Amino acid sequence: MAGCTIFPAQRGVKLTVRPRVPKIGPMPSRMWRLALATAATAACNEGLQPTPTCPSGFVGICGLVTFQVPLPDSLRDSTDAVFIVAYKNFPTAPESLFNFLPLPPPTVPTNNSTYPYSLQLPNGRYQWVLAVWKKKGTLTTQSADSLLREVGFYKDDGDTTTHGSGIVTVNGTARDSIDFVIDFGNMHRICTYFPPCPP
Amino acid sequence: MPPLKRLVVLASLLAAPLAGAGAQSSGVVYGTVRDSTTGRPVPQAQIILVGTNLETLADTSGRYRLAGVPAGQVRVLARHIGYRASLRTLDVAAGESANLDLSLRPSPLDVEPVIVTAAKRSQLLDQAVTSVALVSDSDIARRAVSTVDEAVNKAPGVLFLNGQVNIRGSSGFVEGLGSRVLLLVDGVPANEGDRGGIDWDVVPLEQVDRVEVVKGAGSSLYGSAALGGVVNLITHDIPIGFHGRVRATAGGYANPPEQLWSFRDYTGGLGGLDVTGSYGTEALRGSVTLGGRHSDGYREQDKSDQWETAGKAEWHPAPDTRVTASGSWTSHQYEVGPPWCERGHCDDHGLAFQPFLIDTANHGAFTRSDKGYVAATLERTPSARFSWHARGSWLRTHFTDLHPGPDDFGVANRFGAELRGEVHAPGGGVVTVGAEGSYSDVTSNIFTGDTTATSDTIRSHDQSEFAAYGEGEHQAGPVRLTAGARMDFIALDGGSVSSVLSPRIGAVLPTRAGTWRASLGGGFRAPSLAELFVSTIAFGYRVIPNPDLQRETAWSFELGNSTALGSRVHLDAALFWTEARRLIEPVFTLQAGNPVIQFQNVARARLRGLDMSLVAIPFPWNLTTSLSYTFLDARDVATDSVLAFRPKHLATLSADYGWHSLSVGADFRVVSRIEQIELAGPYAGDPRVATKVVDLRAGWERGPVSARLLVNNVLNYIYSLTPGTLEPVRTVSVTFAWKY
Repeated sequence: MAGCTIFPAQRGVKLTVRPRVPKIGPMPSRMWRLALATAATAACNEGLQPTPTCPSGFVGICGLVTFQVPLPDSLRDSTDAVFIVAYKNFPTAPESLFNFLPLPPPTVPTNNSTYPYSLQLPNGRYQWVLAVWKKKGTLTTQSADSLLREVGFYKDDGDTTTHGSGIVTVNGTARDSIDFVIDFGNMHRICTYFPPCPP
Repeated sequence: MPPLKRLVVLASLLAAPLAGAGAQSSGVVYGTVRDSTTGRPVPQAQIILVGTNLETLADTSGRYRLAGVPAGQVRVLARHIGYRASLRTLDVAAGESANLDLSLRPSPLDVEPVIVTAAKRSQLLDQAVTSVALVSDSDIARRAVSTVDEAVNKAPGVLFLNGQVNIRGSSGFVEGLGSRVLLLVDGVPANEGDRGGIDWDVVPLEQVDRVEVVKGAGSSLYGSAALGGVVNLITHDIPIGFHGRVRATAGGYANPPEQLWSFRDYTGGLGGLDVTGSYGTEALRGSVTLGGRHSDGYREQDKSDQWETAGKAEWHPAPDTRVTASGSWTSHQYEVGPPWCERGHCDDHGLAFQPFLIDTANHGAFTRSDKGYVAATLERTPSARFSWHARGSWLRTHFTDLHPGPDDFGVANRFGAELRGEVHAPGGGVVTVGAEGSYSDVTSNIFTGDTTATSDTIRSHDQSEFAAYGEGEHQAGPVRLTAGARMDFIALDGGSVSSVLSPRIGAVLPTRAGTWRASLGGGFRAPSLAELFVSTIAFGYRVIPNPDLQRETAWSFELGNSTALGSRVHLDAALFWTEARRLIEPVFTLQAGNPVIQFQNVARARLRGLDMSLVAIPFPWNLTTSLSYTFLDARDVATDSVLAFRPKHLATLSADYGWHSLSVGADFRVVSRIEQIELAGPYAGDPRVATKVVDLRAGWERGPVSARLLVNNVLNYIYSLTPGTLEPVRTVSVTFAWKY
């Protein structure tokens, strides 16, 4: 992976920024190189980051999605959209895939390295907040596995759910900083959650 | 007997036996200073007649001439930064000229430069009782900086907070008001007459030869504002013959690293051009600098244009007399950006804050700031043992803030005069005595003292200061002892006079374990006219005047050591401790039940810590590395809390490598996260991070031509030091310079 990795302590989310580490020419001293590498590594961490926030009076969840890698060119023509949705209960069958909120779900532009999103949601406990890549085509229960891919979801270190998803509770106010990573290099078929996967 | 009176008596006693010395016959020493390895002349090398106050600088051909040299055996010292000093002894016959060519051996670890600020006279750096940081002309050139504050900001232990200079955490940040650091231009005080702050653009960098930063209380010689230190900008001497310098800079700013922060569809640029011409003869010399620069800025509404001119003239009517006149005028027009936009106050893209955008309420805010000074000095050296110096100066600043709502303006003057004498005793003792006066006034619609904030009221206020000072230095065995004091008398708006005494004692002891220095001094700062009489609106709150403000005071102690560890490492370290009382800080208070901001004497503060600078030249020889580090424990003792705007750690790691005409270098600067800010209410959610910035540079130099590439903040680290104010992003610039 090129570039440097940033770990904003406040959100516990791993972000990756574009490569911009300078190329240092050959230096005569190993110590010099070590010092500069140390400096570069240290300087790469913990600068100010975009901090999403919910609008005043908003009820729901807000956060920042960060793209681990850009949308591959191979997917660009076939992509319908990338959505962010929330499930009160982790879906247990293809039929329950359609129990997401909100309706219609908001889309995420794929030409940004980061994007602040907001989901207007009713009060409740949400087990799965995720980003879904959708291929062009008509979505049905039967076509879900071929048209949808999970491309990232909110995780919480203290969470004990089966799939490691973070639980978010909305209680009449806004829940901020529900941040997660979208990784087009690590897309999961729906059947991953409802095995077995067809060949 | 009062200390000041004792000093005057001491000076008289010392001067008495010197009357004969001035009358004895003298001769002339002349010659050329050359580099011992290349044979090239060493311009600006300093030639000192040891034990006297006679000194001169070599011209661009390395030639020098010392007149008025006492007949007999004398010792001549030649030095220049980057060379090992050379000491020669020769006999001078009365009425004769003696030729003495000197060669200097290159030595990057030069530890004995001559300074002029710490004791208000020339002395070796390792004879100063307080810590002094230097920024040489080669440092300025190598770092390819364009402004004076950029040059000063690189000095060890110095930190700029949005333009406000801090030496060992002296000033904190108060929107430029009430600096606890005194700016000098060739020894002439240049803090603003109204705000007491510093306009760093009052002198073009092109005029500056080197910078001396004196750390710790300097009030015993310099009075108010020198409470936390002194920065002296020393301008170039004018060489003989025709000479010229052209310096052109062009570059650009990186775009925001996140698309969510984008604010324009083009890449911001910057550029500048400075031209200096000079002509000098033995008797008359003059130089003029013209320059201008433009910047698109690195954030929204951040453009600036600056035009500047500066001049200097010298007249040498006799070998022992020099008359200098200097001046500058700068006009700076700039858009006003900060604070940055908080959510809901701009097109925030759903973010809590937009560091590159500003609050739409500030759209169109613009400042025009004109400033300039003229100064004249007369220096006479009637004998090798006695010299005196007289100066007069006038500093004028004029600002107009154009922003939504009524505009603010202020016109301020600061007139100053000083008479100083210096006596060298045969045994190595030195006594400096002087008297100094200044008069500051401001006419403004913001520093009115009016209890109702309105732009319709225009008032004038003034402050007069008169002082007498003296400092003596005595060699007692291996120890050099220093004692001195300054008495200041201050009157506000022609009212009653208050006085304050600022004493200082110090000692320097050379040992096998390096040279030790210790000093204890009292300092003070009188409130600026702005702090006393400001009446305006800031952050949505009324700012009310406080004409009852008292001066703040401090006692500072320092223990330092300067050591050469072998031939390749030099270490300078100092422990410092300052106890300050009645510090002037802005606080929230209530007026008729409403929250307002007012400057008050509130805090009893303690600032202590460690300041160190390590320079090493590991293999190969043309690689120079340095580390400067300041640890600061700054506390408000009254509330047992961290003092605002004082980061605990400040460190700079640097490395420079030269190969023939090429050079490369890098700086890595770390400033720990600022724990406490003032007026936290409006900035309750201020996101602050530690500063970790890497700068890279490369240079090429051949003869009179040089080119330098500078990449500041190469990793485009996004950070702020003061609330709502984004620090510069990655900036790439190329500077071409040509000298004739």
